[in-house]
Amino acid sequence: MAPNIVDKSLRNDRIAAWLIKSGGLFVIVVVIGILLLIGQVALPLFYSPKAEQLEKIPSELAELLESDNSAKIQSRKQGENGKITVQLLPGDRISVHQQLVEQDLLGNEKASEKKYLLEDKLPGAITALWLGRRGQSLYAGTDNGWLIRWDLAEEGEGRLIEKVEAFKDHRKITALATLLGDYSLAVGDSTGQVTSWMPVKTPGTGEDKRLAQIHRLPGFTEPVVHLLASPRDKSLAVFNADGDIRIVHLTTERLLLELKSGMPVKSSAFGDNGRKLLVSGADGKMVAWNLDIPHPEVSLSTLFGKVWYEGYNKPEYVWQSSAATDDFEAKISLVPLIFGTFKATLFAMLFAVPVALLAAIYTSQFMAPALKGRIKPAVEIMAAVPSVVVGFLAGLWLAPLMDKHLMALFLSFIFVPLMLLIAILAWRPFAEKTKVGRGMIGYEFFGLLPIVALSFWLAGQVAIPLEAVLFAGDLKQWLYSSLGIRYDQRNSIVIAISLGFAVIPIIFTIAEDALSNVPRNLSAASLALGASRWQTAWRVVLPSALPGVFSAIMIGFGRAVGETMIVLMATGNTPIMSWSFLNGLRSLSANIAVEIPEAPFNGTLYRTLFLSAVLLFLLTFVINTAAELLRQRFRKKYGRY
Amino acid sequence: MSQESVQTNKQPAILEVEDLNLYYGAAQALKNVSLSMLRNHVTAFIGPSGCGKSTLLRCLNRMNDLIDSVRIEGSIKLDNQEITGNATDVISLRRRVGMVFQQPNPFPKSIYENIVYGLRIAGVNDKATLDETVERSLKGAAIWNEVKDRLHESALGLSGGQAQRICIARAIANAPDVLLMDEPASALDPLSTLKIEELIDELKEKYSIVIVTHNMQQAARVSDSTAFFYLGELIEMGNTKKIFTNPEKKQTEDYITGRFG
Repeated sequence: MAPNIVDKSLRNDRIAAWLIKSGGLFVIVVVIGILLLIGQVALPLFYSPKAEQLEKIPSELAELLESDNSAKIQSRKQGENGKITVQLLPGDRISVHQQLVEQDLLGNEKASEKKYLLEDKLPGAITALWLGRRGQSLYAGTDNGWLIRWDLAEEGEGRLIEKVEAFKDHRKITALATLLGDYSLAVGDSTGQVTSWMPVKTPGTGEDKRLAQIHRLPGFTEPVVHLLASPRDKSLAVFNADGDIRIVHLTTERLLLELKSGMPVKSSAFGDNGRKLLVSGADGKMVAWNLDIPHPEVSLSTLFGKVWYEGYNKPEYVWQSSAATDDFEAKISLVPLIFGTFKATLFAMLFAVPVALLAAIYTSQFMAPALKGRIKPAVEIMAAVPSVVVGFLAGLWLAPLMDKHLMALFLSFIFVPLMLLIAILAWRPFAEKTKVGRGMIGYEFFGLLPIVALSFWLAGQVAIPLEAVLFAGDLKQWLYSSLGIRYDQRNSIVIAISLGFAVIPIIFTIAEDALSNVPRNLSAASLALGASRWQTAWRVVLPSALPGVFSAIMIGFGRAVGETMIVLMATGNTPIMSWSFLNGLRSLSANIAVEIPEAPFNGTLYRTLFLSAVLLFLLTFVINTAAELLRQRFRKKYGRY
Repeated sequence: MSQESVQTNKQPAILEVEDLNLYYGAAQALKNVSLSMLRNHVTAFIGPSGCGKSTLLRCLNRMNDLIDSVRIEGSIKLDNQEITGNATDVISLRRRVGMVFQQPNPFPKSIYENIVYGLRIAGVNDKATLDETVERSLKGAAIWNEVKDRLHESALGLSGGQAQRICIARAIANAPDVLLMDEPASALDPLSTLKIEELIDELKEKYSIVIVTHNMQQAARVSDSTAFFYLGELIEMGNTKKIFTNPEKKQTEDYITGRFG
């Protein structure tokens, strides 16, 4: 009988151990599986582009070559129904020919024509000419490194805007082309360098924007002979005299592909909306490639670095994944989102940690046990409130309320602590020394509740006249006009309070458990040495419970980092990078929720969102791991609770 | 009874308990207890579990305040000063009446910080004073030689006996008048117990000691006078030798000889 029981319990032990082990392994495998799954969607962002030479060239592709347009005569459509042609004449004069076909209401066409010459004095001989795709701007490059820009938008008149000494070493500019969107100008020169230029506002030039060098793209060591912009994205094909072709991308400054046609290229064209490239030599021989460049705009520098985007006056971190037009430069910097995540978390923690920890200390060390038994479950119910409800209340109730009573809110930051302090100081002589005072022990906060309510009421009463006197009745207007501080209705205070609301019960519960687990005999020892209850709580109980308190904070932190619904509804989702607590933000998690329904399946945005999911995953993983390691150290140093 | 032993001794009483009744809610834990404890004497409280000896000990430094439902009637005087009632400054009382607990309970701090805790909470942060106190207290608790090279290591790494002597050193760092010991050796091995007992013998030179113990031999070895409690009542108090050899009450004799308890 006895050996039987021993065998049985040994067997049960083994089964239990096996179950626990396999359960743990299963969890680890699932977590790694999830990471691999989302990583596998994001990974193609970083695949290198491929090109495949076509065996047979389709005839519709061959026709495209005729539209190639880089010679001395260039013409474009201008406006709805106009046409503009420029021609470089000997002596660096340029003739401009505008044709306009107007239809009156009856459908009669009336054609008008304007012709004029651009005869400005130029610093050098024109070696490259480019008429912008909309026929609005004309660019020329000279043999001594100058760029000249004319505005042809006016009817019958061309205006010289600027002459820029682009290269101090007076190299010859050999090729020009505007990229998709007609904003950036790519410049190829005799040293083989390719640079991009766009008009930016520089200090000291007033309202006028002047061409400035923005990007330096990978070029050749021998002169560039031709540039061809992709109709699909901000890519560019660069040709040299030997027929080597490099496809480069503007925003990322990446070299996407290197192709060799094996002959001097006479004309070239992108076909199939930028998916094919066709070139032909002097003898009419044609070579074509199928280009497979799925995500040209993605690189580590665009994801995490400052980029000088078109239309911006300096390099910046920007997230703007889509716009109204197709020729828009995608701005996929994850930095504003990571910033937003940390800002939301930080503000929420600034609000939640003091509240939750002090509440936990009070509840575990000072509150009457009978009351404690009711408070704890009540706080735990707080954690059960769905985050969508919290977010909804924050966005639709709290934010407008705060908007209305901003001054009162600021005042109550001063009033509440001040009034509490006064109340406590006034109470001190009575506490412990009188019968009523002793009776209040453990129930003190009941006495403070009316004080808090009174402080809020008082702040509200004082706020209106004070705002009228100091800030002409509108604090927000004053902040903006006097201090230049922009106020968003969905701001970081709303986030701090609402996200804090979600985090407080977690921190409170775990911290309270840890504090309550500190053995009574430790606090008894402290009290017996003549310490007050507060000294005991602060110097003995809290340090002893530090590992538990620390993990409470870290679990709260992890929850705040990953929280989606509240930030989504309460932040305004503006991906700006500002530390101001009056501005909104956009977090990684909310960004995924906002944009994934609109992201084309397996497109760049779709994969970038998955990448940000991987990032979020790693972020929480790293935070939790670091927290656990730290906790282990604390346990060794301080205690086991 | 007990009054005789007080009178035979010429030393004045440091603690005087008079008609003390203590209730936990409705249950009465101490009934009409009156006794005196003498200066620089070791007074032992003995009795079976639940007899109220620890409760009485905790009245002496007001540790019973921590328990919600406690109600105390009667008078306790420390150096002729009343220490019950709301007017007493509990903090300064506890600085005068130190306590050592059953379980060694060093704080999760360094040995040094454990000893100076009482000074720090009183606002003393002068390094020279702290250093001097640490050395004096550790020497007083006969543990200086064992720990002097690792004062800044955690006190949690000490053995039970060492930890208990650290707790004694911590209590005497406050320079109290009275040292209360609640079964200070019951969680320790015999060798550590011996060291604690020797220590108590040295400490009574400077401090008045009140010790609660379950161990009859220990009471006989360390104490000068002994009080026997049973069911909340003080049955008998007197010179330790007399109590252990020739008790007046039958109950005392039964307990000492191990017939019940």
